[in-house]
Amino acid sequence: MGLIRAVFDAAFRQGGPRLKPVGPRWPLLLFHVDTGGCGGCGMELEALATGPYDMEGAGFGFVQSPRSADVLLVTGTLTRTMAPVLEAAWQAMPKPKGVICVGGCAMDGGYFPENYSVLGGLDRKAKIDLQIPGCPPSPQQVLDGLCSLFGQRVPPARGAQAEGSSSTSS
Amino acid sequence: MDAVSLIRAGQETDTPWRFRLDELGWRDMVAALEKDTLPFVGLWCDGTDVHALFMLSPAQPLAATLALEDGRYPALSSVRPVSSLYERRAYDLYGAEGMWAVDVRPLVDHDVWSATAPLAATPGPAGGHKGQISFQPSDALLAAGGVNAGAGPATGGMETPLHVAMAVAGETITQAETVSGYAHRGLAARWRNSRLEDACRLSGRVAAGCSVAHQAAFCQAVEAACGSAVGPETSLIRVVLLELERILLHLHTLAGLARGAGALVVASRCAWFREQLLAESAPVIGSRLLMDHCVPGGTSLREATGLGDLCISLAKLGEEIYPGLATLWRTYPALSVRLSGVGKVDATLLDRVGLDGPVARASGKDCDGRRTQRVYQTLWRLTAGRHGGTAEDRALVLLDEIGESLRMLGEAGPRLGLTAGGRVDLTLEDGEGLGMTEGPWGNVLYWVRLHAGRVAQVFVHDPAPAALMVFEETLAGQDVADLALVRQSLGVNAAALDG
Repeated sequence: MGLIRAVFDAAFRQGGPRLKPVGPRWPLLLFHVDTGGCGGCGMELEALATGPYDMEGAGFGFVQSPRSADVLLVTGTLTRTMAPVLEAAWQAMPKPKGVICVGGCAMDGGYFPENYSVLGGLDRKAKIDLQIPGCPPSPQQVLDGLCSLFGQRVPPARGAQAEGSSSTSS
Repeated sequence: MDAVSLIRAGQETDTPWRFRLDELGWRDMVAALEKDTLPFVGLWCDGTDVHALFMLSPAQPLAATLALEDGRYPALSSVRPVSSLYERRAYDLYGAEGMWAVDVRPLVDHDVWSATAPLAATPGPAGGHKGQISFQPSDALLAAGGVNAGAGPATGGMETPLHVAMAVAGETITQAETVSGYAHRGLAARWRNSRLEDACRLSGRVAAGCSVAHQAAFCQAVEAACGSAVGPETSLIRVVLLELERILLHLHTLAGLARGAGALVVASRCAWFREQLLAESAPVIGSRLLMDHCVPGGTSLREATGLGDLCISLAKLGEEIYPGLATLWRTYPALSVRLSGVGKVDATLLDRVGLDGPVARASGKDCDGRRTQRVYQTLWRLTAGRHGGTAEDRALVLLDEIGESLRMLGEAGPRLGLTAGGRVDLTLEDGEGLGMTEGPWGNVLYWVRLHAGRVAQVFVHDPAPAALMVFEETLAGQDVADLALVRQSLGVNAAALDG
């Protein structure tokens, strides 16, 4: 219906000016979308953002609007109802932009593969820049995975752990 | 005749507490329920029958079954408002139509699925809607001026996806409604004819943060259906996991509330305490969100024999950190004042929709499933209730419960000692069972039907539908900026709701 679309358009307006300054020393800003999981990855992301992990110090931050984001961070299996919302968020993001999948559901559907209401993971549906497996991955695994985007940049606090470790921690 | 006698007058089934009624009997039951206070748990459909579950007492279920006639049944929503959400779901999934239902709008099927009524014997054609879903506001919302503001499902935050459509006057919400279904993963369809282990894993992923409550209730239901029960040590291990989960989720909620109220120091203290507890517990238990540790017939931990010591060390950690955190919360400037005006929930509303858990306990209700469970008998004690029903009261109830649960861990530790709990071998027989636990946000109940060595059907009762109704009603009169605070303090979880 028109009304709800107007609400989304206001939130994800396309073609607006880029809100975020561009430069190598600015943090990588992430816009999180839960596309229909159990919420576990979201809880771990919140722990990463507020717990003792120093995500900002490693060069990352979460933003509340896709217009100021560099990267779309997707958690949860993609439901048919959330697919247009994800698409709208993606279209609203300024270029250059990327996609990161956190958790098994966002990657390949995990415990929620395709059915009447679910499209499954983003794997083979979209170009994914980084996959962080786990059900859900721990905050440290997410941070290590994010840091692997920049190769040498590893946070000083717990730099010893493996990058984007594939071991699951549910 | 009262509703209980009318249900019991029905035809007996293989399950001693479930009775089959004919349509006239069902209608009489609906009429009797209007004056009766019999607590309603939920309503579900299995394609041929519709079932309504009630609780005579906290441990005594009573269910009524009616065969669908031309895909219809007399609805219960006129006498039990929360039934409306179950009826809308039954229509979306099975095409079962509730006659005289108070609300017939879609709940989870927004015409984008690959089939309508996907669980019916003959599913309908695929939904023809393209793009973002449409939403039909209720008459009440239109009367309040129609939708002129909205929030979600993608806010950039970490909460589960839900859209709130609002009528706003200035900065005040005059009326609000939710649009759900974004997180519908088709759990009912996935549970149908699933293997026991797969079904258990799915139940752990109904709602993150309440995984133990869901899996323990699922396991109890399966064990009841098989006619067996786990030993006292396994039960105690499950209690330890339940209480640990309560502590961890309450700390998570409190951190979110404090951050929403602008008390960032308190928020980071809560998050830091949670991480301290996790750093101790995750290596012994094997995971942070406690998924997949309750399995049918027993428990599964990485180092089961270390659980007793872990409980003692967690309780010790609690003694060191918790009193300071509680004092900080109570004395932090403006935190309580900020929360005290937000989301006041009336006790009569709670009665009407049947919401229990900490939300009800903060409104002066004396309800806690742990009171009647045998395994809690020497552990649980009444926590002082609060009566205000505001977000402040709810936060303080959560804070009190963290302290209580830490104390329970301290008492359970020495009792556990070095036990690993053991495992009961289940012989899967056809039958039905019921299991329930007191989850972090209230009663979680599972009804499981086993058939031919597999899980044939599952019905879940979670506080989410009742919490959603309370959320919608509470929003009227609130500031738009307080939306997230109200949602967090009521524990509205779209993942549990959508299923």
